[in-house]
Amino acid sequence: MADDAAGLYGKPSARIDGAAKVTGQARFASDEPVANPAYAYLVTSAIARGRIVRMDLSEARATPGVLDILTHENVGGQARPPVGPDQNPTTTTLESDRIWHGGQIIGVVVADTYEAAREAARRVVVDYAAETPSATFDSPGVQSEPRQAADPEAKDPSKGDAAAAFAAAPVQIDAHYSTPTQHHNPMELFTTTCVWEGPRLVIYEPTQSMYGLKAAVAKQLGLDLANVRTVSRYVGGGFGSKGAPSSRTVWVALAARRLKRPVKLVPTRDQGFTVSTFRAETRHHLKLGATRDGKLTAVSHEGWEVSSRPSSYNVSGVESTARMYASPNIATKVTVVHADRSTPGFMRAPPDTPYMFALESGMDELAYALGMDPIELRRINDTQTDPVDGKPFSSRSLMQCFDQAAARFGWAKRNPAPGSMRDGDWLIGYGCATSTYPSNIGPAAARLSLTADGKATIQLAAHEIGTGAYTTVAIAVADGLGLRVADVAVQLGDSDLPPVPVAGGSNNAASTTHVAAKACEEIRSRIALAAVRAKDGVFAGRDPASLKLRNGALVGSDGNSEPIAKAAGRVGGTIEVHAENVPAGLPPDAAQGLYQGRTQMVRGTGRKDVTAFAFGAHFVEVRVHALTREIRTPRVVSAFAAGTIVNPLTAYSQFMGGAIWGLSSALHEATEIDRRAARYTNTNYADYLIPVNADVPKLDVIFVPEEDTRVNPLGIKGIGEIGIVGMNAAVANAVFHATGRRIRDLPIRIEDLL
Amino acid sequence: MEITLRVNGRDHPLRLDPRTTLLDALREHLHLTGSKKGCDQGQCGACTVHVDGRRVLACLTLAAAVQGRPVTTIEGLAQGETLHPMQAAFIKHDAFQCGYCTPGQIMSAVACVREGRASDDDQIREHMSGNLCRCAAYPKIVAAIREAALQSERA
Repeated sequence: MADDAAGLYGKPSARIDGAAKVTGQARFASDEPVANPAYAYLVTSAIARGRIVRMDLSEARATPGVLDILTHENVGGQARPPVGPDQNPTTTTLESDRIWHGGQIIGVVVADTYEAAREAARRVVVDYAAETPSATFDSPGVQSEPRQAADPEAKDPSKGDAAAAFAAAPVQIDAHYSTPTQHHNPMELFTTTCVWEGPRLVIYEPTQSMYGLKAAVAKQLGLDLANVRTVSRYVGGGFGSKGAPSSRTVWVALAARRLKRPVKLVPTRDQGFTVSTFRAETRHHLKLGATRDGKLTAVSHEGWEVSSRPSSYNVSGVESTARMYASPNIATKVTVVHADRSTPGFMRAPPDTPYMFALESGMDELAYALGMDPIELRRINDTQTDPVDGKPFSSRSLMQCFDQAAARFGWAKRNPAPGSMRDGDWLIGYGCATSTYPSNIGPAAARLSLTADGKATIQLAAHEIGTGAYTTVAIAVADGLGLRVADVAVQLGDSDLPPVPVAGGSNNAASTTHVAAKACEEIRSRIALAAVRAKDGVFAGRDPASLKLRNGALVGSDGNSEPIAKAAGRVGGTIEVHAENVPAGLPPDAAQGLYQGRTQMVRGTGRKDVTAFAFGAHFVEVRVHALTREIRTPRVVSAFAAGTIVNPLTAYSQFMGGAIWGLSSALHEATEIDRRAARYTNTNYADYLIPVNADVPKLDVIFVPEEDTRVNPLGIKGIGEIGIVGMNAAVANAVFHATGRRIRDLPIRIEDLL
Repeated sequence: MEITLRVNGRDHPLRLDPRTTLLDALREHLHLTGSKKGCDQGQCGACTVHVDGRRVLACLTLAAAVQGRPVTTIEGLAQGETLHPMQAAFIKHDAFQCGYCTPGQIMSAVACVREGRASDDDQIREHMSGNLCRCAAYPKIVAAIREAALQSERA
């Protein structure tokens, strides 16, 4: 397959779904037309811990237009408990009277109109037996345990004797860092529409896992898998929030069954903060030991993460930080802290965003302690082998990223002394940091057809969450069948189509292009075989493997060719194949699990042959006003080396969007918690700060060419998450350079610099 | 209550709860789902439509309040198969990712140009800051608007 990658891969292609998106025709889940829907509105818990004593529904029921109200009293036993993002037990909702967290779903009001459902929901009166909740780190009543308590197989990456090496190191950094609670806040709300077609449940819900959602609901409601269909043709931003099934879906399904009528739920923005998951707050204790010439002798990274009471979900980014730099001694540890909160989940680069903040801030501190340029410190400790287990990296172009971005940025003009660069009243700081993300790929299935007019249609239950999935798949098919991208129709987002893994871990491009390429190869080989067997044809007697599909024709190595209509005509005109691709390293039946909603993934770490990561480097200019301490980021240059880039046009948007998420992580985003009530206080777009257009600087993305023949056959590493990683540290490092203040707790706000 | 909404050049008689917002009237009653609900409280701009040719937030506007006034939604912007220059510029510059905020961005962008607030990048950034894009396509949104604004100047 690697030879074929010379075709359409890497050539910019406008999104094939672009016209649908700019005309309002792209159908998101809540846009799907259903006949005569009733409208649901959620009732959520006002307390964070305790039990429901009584729910008085009399006033709510009396509201004109109300049809039904679901509570734990009337539907509690009708669904099995949900599982969390790690497939282990999680907080419940209507299953019982138990309150696990603030904002928990405790009732669903259904009415003829949205307006009536909303009014009635506000008339539900709840008596609670409230207990004192534990909000977060340091709250009385939280329980801590090592991550191994829930997952005995989890191994903390380690090597040598880090404690002794640190104690003996002539240069030491010993620092604590923290990152806040964050919420994905995709633009699209967490909607669910359920329609029963006889025994079959159709769920229109934005999801990053068509088959995962299907399997979860089937299990909770005791339905046959064949009787659940999920549809989500476009997802209005996911960022991980729509990766794991949420507890809301089954109640909407039950409401629809009770009413024998479609039911549509559109939760509010505020409710989304507790209906979906979030990025948990983290704490870090980082110790770096080095020789005076900058060689690391000890890397020790200990992390703490908040989770809910029943779940031990954790992200354990030490898997990445332990592997960033050569060091003979490595120690890591992760502790889960259980509080009265909902269960956290995946959020863009879940492990790497918080953990690399600590490591890359620490590396900058070490560079200052050594009096060394931070790029040179990384060069001295760069390595082509995994520092933990000694396997080679499949490819690692970290220093090329640093060098190219540094040149474009103008790093050479930096005076390293903090507070030394100034433009009028503005203090100027330059900062940089390493970016990285593991390269993952999963099994996938697809159905592909080619007609004699040279048009192809591919169907797979992949997810368009903004990554450009429709176009990525179209490029792979056009490349494989020798067509134009415009000749390929792509259908995604429906669990009646063949399964692919969850759109998470940046596996989507690699997983879907490989199965598309495999399906194309099956079609090509059938056409080629018929061509060499045809006695009258120009290819009679040739080796079928030597024939390729190029520019709408079957082409031989000697330049002979025949139009695709003729070549395809020999095998009946229309050719349809069902392909399954199982990446090397997985058991042969790995694709079967997809149909039950299970994904086995070949991950960047833990492979037998290589360790596979994409790498990058962020450079940012920060300006801090000398008097007001206002912080601006006028300029960013980021470089990435991520193997084969399928579509540079959409890849640029992914890298750029990720980098802006990184700026946001450094300077904007934090969900504030009332520590007494264990409830969030800024659950809307005005108070939960995300960048607006005027916040976003001039931003340059550099694609560092990289050919990786070991990561997977097409050399694709995945790019959806790497953009965010390390940017928070680059900004903090630049703030230190501008002001001499080392901020180790995110986000960095004006008050931190007063 | 019974009202008639004039949307994209057509009259639509409707029976609505008086509390119905223009956004819910469009989406749930007229099945014009191009306008999106992102916050329902005027903070995100995904529901931006034109009323009397000016950009308004459909989620903060009661349907009853725009009776008899011309409403244009994203579905009414293209001329048949021919995209509005702003729509074409958004595709060319890849000025979106997931596409959920895009109808609101485009309706806002068309008005931004019409208001004469698209003369340079900083002005565009400022006057497009009421439309959030969580995918953060902002630099490309600015590029698309600048190009469409230049075209409209020439035209």
